[in-house]
Amino acid sequence: MHLNPYHLQIASFALINIMLALGVYVTLSTGQLTLGSAGFMGIGAYTTAVLTVNCHVPVPVGIVAGGLLAGVAGVATGFPALRLRGVYLAVATLGLGEMLRVVFIRWEVLTGGAVGFTGIPQMGRETLDMLNTYGLNPQGIGLKDNEFTAFSVFLILLLIAILTVWAILRQSSSRVGRAFSAIECDESAAGAMGIDIHYYKVLAFGEGAFISGLAGALYAHTASYISPADFTYHRAVEVLAFAVLGGIETAWGAVIGAAVLTVLPETLRFISSYRYVVYGIILVAAMVYRPQGLIDRALLRRFTAK
Amino acid sequence: MELMKRFVLIVLLILSTCKGSPPVDENKPRQPAAQTIKIGVIAALTGSASAYGRSIVNGFELAAKEINSKGGITLELIIEDSAGRQEQALSAAQKLINSNMVAAILGPTLSTEMRVVGPLAVTNGVPILATSNTAAGITQIGRFVFRNSMPETIGTPLSIQMARDKYNIKKAAIIYGDDDVFTKSGFDTMKATAERLGITITTIEKFQKGQADYSAQLTKIKADAPDAILCSALFNEGAVILQQARKLGIDVPVIGGNGFNSPKIIELAGQAAEGLIVATPWFSGKPDKRVQDFVAAYKAAYGTEPDQFAAQAYDGLYLMDEAIRRSGTSEREKVRDALASIKDFDGVMGRFSFDADRDVVMAPLVIIVKDGRFQLFN
Repeated sequence: MHLNPYHLQIASFALINIMLALGVYVTLSTGQLTLGSAGFMGIGAYTTAVLTVNCHVPVPVGIVAGGLLAGVAGVATGFPALRLRGVYLAVATLGLGEMLRVVFIRWEVLTGGAVGFTGIPQMGRETLDMLNTYGLNPQGIGLKDNEFTAFSVFLILLLIAILTVWAILRQSSSRVGRAFSAIECDESAAGAMGIDIHYYKVLAFGEGAFISGLAGALYAHTASYISPADFTYHRAVEVLAFAVLGGIETAWGAVIGAAVLTVLPETLRFISSYRYVVYGIILVAAMVYRPQGLIDRALLRRFTAK
Repeated sequence: MELMKRFVLIVLLILSTCKGSPPVDENKPRQPAAQTIKIGVIAALTGSASAYGRSIVNGFELAAKEINSKGGITLELIIEDSAGRQEQALSAAQKLINSNMVAAILGPTLSTEMRVVGPLAVTNGVPILATSNTAAGITQIGRFVFRNSMPETIGTPLSIQMARDKYNIKKAAIIYGDDDVFTKSGFDTMKATAERLGITITTIEKFQKGQADYSAQLTKIKADAPDAILCSALFNEGAVILQQARKLGIDVPVIGGNGFNSPKIIELAGQAAEGLIVATPWFSGKPDKRVQDFVAAYKAAYGTEPDQFAAQAYDGLYLMDEAIRRSGTSEREKVRDALASIKDFDGVMGRFSFDADRDVVMAPLVIIVKDGRFQLFN
């Protein structure tokens, strides 16, 4: 068996980006446009970094804690966000993201400041060490150490991403999901129908932040180094582009959008420094010809109908 | 969950294509039968660090052309863009190590990228030589990580010490950008040096990237009447700080961090740059034949004078060439050992050795801006 760690690496980053895009999608599915995803991602990443490195907490606990803390922060921002709509909310969340970035820079004792946080346990190498302590060896299944580490990171991310997609799809066809789309279509009408708008909007914000935080924590344990420069508004805009390019009508849009836009720069490597020009052109073209995104409900119906 | 099944199917399909590639033993890249050796380069060719990445790649390409025309071995550079971002640098490194089977890697451009790529190179046993990382603790990542770029911790202390001796500096003010990894670590070095040399620090002022008005910080600095200002900034902010300081009537010497070491600072700050002192590993005005040949060849090829990054890259590939010739192979482990054994290598930056930690041993130069150009300071 031979696996190329390069392909697995790209697939891993694609999965993390899928999670980030899903975080934005959930919030967007109630009609709330957020640019705070990079900040929530940062909360998740720094939480697990501090917990696993300074407090020696096991990695899975750190990841869950990172997601939860980001979720709490999301709920906390969800309340004031109720007063804002559309671009005003986008600008407010942009401000929140920048504020969080400055906190990461200034809280030096904990975050290491602008220099960044090094030595975060890497999921693949941790798994390998764990196997070795049990006397197991990846050679047993015909994998070299570096192939195994890349493969285990990929598997962990794949599992979590599938769980997230599954949970969101289940939710979208449940009472909560129906309430979300009702609010997105017409808030006042939804309110008149007896839907608790405040509750559902804050819930969507919290869920989105939780997923972003989880993705951030997973990113920290994939790259093993984070710095405040990873969580700038560039990242938030990029994540929004994933969701919008893929289509915001269904969760599958976010999945496909993130996967396409992560793999695209890699496949364009052969044109070296011009690849982002082509990337930009493709983005513009996609928005002109499919303004609703690559995946919409009509396409999905055709895809699922036998 | 029909959709879910399809999704899993697609993922499995993607996975199966990964398995399809032929098995290759990566610990032994193909023997140099035709004496062509693949060297990977990770550089920021797009994004905000692309100005550095361009110079760096120019330096590598010029050196490769010269080395290949000499005969013996042929170095094939495989250049990958990282856009200055960790994820991209990591993917590029995985590609070079596992798909291209390179013997060694040069780069990446930024220290932040090396923090992510370095551990990967160590686990895979691939020698990696940084030609532009200046942060502390880079080669301590592992035994396969080398660098030939002078860390801040060597250059800046010397410039401060020489300035102190010449201008009798007893107290100094520090101003630095606290939201950039480069300027922040420069500040750490300045503060430690001032304390070590017994210079009293009157005030420490911070600023952020892209700031346009520094009068608040500079007025405070002026009130304390220091003998000198230590400034850790990138050249675009640095130029503005110099101009505003001179306008406020602050005429004490300014000692800049590595970010000031660019001809652009003189272009931007003009008259205000006069008297600026910086340490540099590279000085294009050095009356040395090798240096002047390099400057002439670089000018002919790219139309500009080589900067510090081009010179470091140029020397970097020559170091790699030396290691490959010494080991007589492209085996990664042996190239590493040969690289580690290099002592007193004569490059355009001067005499160079690796220390026990594979870090830089070389004498930096201190230069001062005089009559609108950099000149040696003594």
